[in-house]
Amino acid sequence: MGLIARALELAGIATTLTGWNADRTVPLKPPRATYTKLARGATLGQPGDLVQQRRILQATLALLEQDAPLAPVYLPEE
Amino acid sequence: MEILEQHVAWANNFRSGWLAHHQQTGEFDWKRYQRPRNNEPVSGFGIPLATSRIVLISSAGGYVARTQQPFAAAHPYGDYSIRTFPLYTPFDQIAYAHEHYDHTAVNRDPQVLLPLRHLNDLEAEQWLGDVAPQVISFMGYQPDVSRLLDETIPAIVNEAKATGARGALLVPA
Repeated sequence: MGLIARALELAGIATTLTGWNADRTVPLKPPRATYTKLARGATLGQPGDLVQQRRILQATLALLEQDAPLAPVYLPEE
Repeated sequence: MEILEQHVAWANNFRSGWLAHHQQTGEFDWKRYQRPRNNEPVSGFGIPLATSRIVLISSAGGYVARTQQPFAAAHPYGDYSIRTFPLYTPFDQIAYAHEHYDHTAVNRDPQVLLPLRHLNDLEAEQWLGDVAPQVISFMGYQPDVSRLLDETIPAIVNEAKATGARGALLVPA
């Protein structure tokens, strides 16, 4: 996703992403990103936890209001 | 600014290392796989969320089971195609062709990977301008970064531009 984010940003579309795999995505240097300690397959939160899902979603989307590049944002979500 | 710096060197390493080993032995040796990386960040302007259209891009392998072909989830070298489907597609019509993550969570609650209803809600609350009517979907097992750059990324960029979105939310599986 990091490379796709860079391509979209270069094409004029602001990007943000969230991931559980900071170790693989941070080195790609995407423009804006949040990272959690959630498991693969549950990127936006625990199943059924709509509050957590929305918290991660809004924290990630909110980055779009800032100019890139941003430093990675680590969220205390697991 | 490049999407992937030192692409040629990466491609040479991939072909002579991981790919050649698999072709010769049938084994997946991930110690031979060089993860791509960049040194330079990409710059871009921020956007006002409350007045902007956002497009969702997912690598969960989602597709509309009744009308679309599934991704080649079992292919050893991945699938580089994309699908698009309407934002309002009922969850029970979406299937997931992707063998590289556990589907337990997404089967229980699709919004852990496809936050379609959350995005609808944020639009209704005017927290977002609006959400693009089409979701862009692909299967995120794509070990050949050259094919990602040559096939998947141009298709995604074209689809995203066609939606008129100013911003994109990328959700990996």
